[in-house]
Amino acid sequence: MEKLKRLQSGIEGLDALLKGGLVAGASYIIQGRPGSGKTILANQLGFHHANNGGRVLVATLLAESHDRLFQFLSTLSFFDSSKIGEEIQFVSAFDTLENEGLDEVVKLLRREISRRKATVLVVDGLLNARSKADSHIDTKKFISELQGHAAFAGCTVLFLTSSRLDDGSPEHTMVDGVIEIGEELFGTRSVRRIQLRKTRGSAALAGLHECEITDNGLVVYPRLESLYSHPSAPDSADMTRIGSGIASLDTILGGGLYSSSVSLVMGPSGIGKTTLGLKFLAESTVDSPGLHFGFYESPQRLRLKGDSLGIDIKGMEDSGALTIAWQPTTEGLLDGLGARLLSIVEENGIKRVFVDSLSGMTRVATNTARITDFLSALMNELRARGVTVLATWEMRDLLGSEVSAPNSDLSSIVDNLMLMRFAENDFELKRTLSVLKVRDSAYDPSRFEVVIQAQDVLLKKASRHEPSVPTE
Amino acid sequence: MDYNKVTTILVVDDEYLIADILSFALEDEGFSVVTASNGRKGLDALDRVKPALIITDFMMPAMDGLEFATAVRALPSLLQVPIILISGAQAHIGMQRPDLFDAVLPKPFNIDAIIAEVRKLLHLA
Repeated sequence: MEKLKRLQSGIEGLDALLKGGLVAGASYIIQGRPGSGKTILANQLGFHHANNGGRVLVATLLAESHDRLFQFLSTLSFFDSSKIGEEIQFVSAFDTLENEGLDEVVKLLRREISRRKATVLVVDGLLNARSKADSHIDTKKFISELQGHAAFAGCTVLFLTSSRLDDGSPEHTMVDGVIEIGEELFGTRSVRRIQLRKTRGSAALAGLHECEITDNGLVVYPRLESLYSHPSAPDSADMTRIGSGIASLDTILGGGLYSSSVSLVMGPSGIGKTTLGLKFLAESTVDSPGLHFGFYESPQRLRLKGDSLGIDIKGMEDSGALTIAWQPTTEGLLDGLGARLLSIVEENGIKRVFVDSLSGMTRVATNTARITDFLSALMNELRARGVTVLATWEMRDLLGSEVSAPNSDLSSIVDNLMLMRFAENDFELKRTLSVLKVRDSAYDPSRFEVVIQAQDVLLKKASRHEPSVPTE
Repeated sequence: MDYNKVTTILVVDDEYLIADILSFALEDEGFSVVTASNGRKGLDALDRVKPALIITDFMMPAMDGLEFATAVRALPSLLQVPIILISGAQAHIGMQRPDLFDAVLPKPFNIDAIIAEVRKLLHLA
């Protein structure tokens, strides 16, 4: 099977969506309303291409001046003014379009492609070309002639347009690919999304994917479940056991946690889930580093909490044994969080991850129907990378005897499921822990009292005299 | 402003908006302005008009400002005509070629600075 030569956009997520990049020598329409990020996408690709030895020709059919464009692009990290006029040429064909028509624009650009030896051509303002065309046939001719000349020169073409061309439009039928960028409101929050509407000659991750515009330009987050529909590595199926950080819990679990496994601790606020997590992370070493991926406690608060448990978090961070990645805001994109988690794991060779909490992570989801698929893909990927995961799930009921799983699918994603509850015993409030599920191992199903004393966490078998369910 | 005869200035820029803005400003000062959207068209225009001064952009299709100025300087009749280069990214290239450009002004440009430079090069008070 023949594989077509690719032209990387330099936008990591976009290249992933395109399964390696644009098809070199092909032509694409990039469409989206003004402000959607088309120009950023095209220029980011242009500068990346120029940095890798390519030559770029940007032809505008718009009245807007190039200097205004440069001023605006100069706020983005990829912009490099020394490339302009050298590897990247900006020319305006507006005057030619206005006074001489589409045919002359094609001639002008054809000559420029060969004169500049351009390997990427960006035509900004296809809408203007369309309004100049007397009929659809003229636009089709404009696109087909231009892409014909470009393809002959081995030049990839991007046509930028702010009109929403539909799938049946003549422009779409002509080009090899269509990339659409849009913005949608979720409550008061606005989320940018990108979609590959057409990709000829290449597989692609279909559907809508979230993206954002940062100081580094466009960042695309492929939907995690489509990106990792198969984990990037075979499941390590490593049956090595590692310590959970609490000796008595290891005993209950039949000898610790499997090194490639996911454990979920469910419980109400204040029950001690984070304490369990910090004990788990305290086992991290420089050789097997840990990651705290949290949504609630700031690093400062975590250090204080660590002190109270006899864990020198600052020292561990300094030595490289522990990384704290705090997600302070509720703003953000679900796939962005997933990508960030995986990239920290990758960069720092993380072996233990504590996610506090999964409910905090999924709060930013714009589509709740995907949460299970998202978490399943994320956890499978972490397992495949040989990471031991401990995660928490916030439960609403403080003293409920009703135990409702967060959702039935979640328990199938995790290997081990633990439930923490408060129990009222006479006049005392006690913390308890029960193991609900351990994959591929025998475990002690009793309910245990969680005792936190002298910086230590102990699990004590609850006494026979205690009622087995919390009393009213 | 009262000149004995109308002084013509050739403005060469592919960006229509910039050519337009420059034209209006120069016309307000009493000059006659001819515009061309690239160096090639600028050379064509020289067959028809004899400007007292030329203002050119650098980055243009068909023929850029450097190629255009070189071609102009090769024409004996235009050897003495002052050429002003207006460029953002390529200003440094222009500065190294005083044989081609009498002045190099940055982009985004200051219209008053351009008018002042034009008057200076044309020895107008």
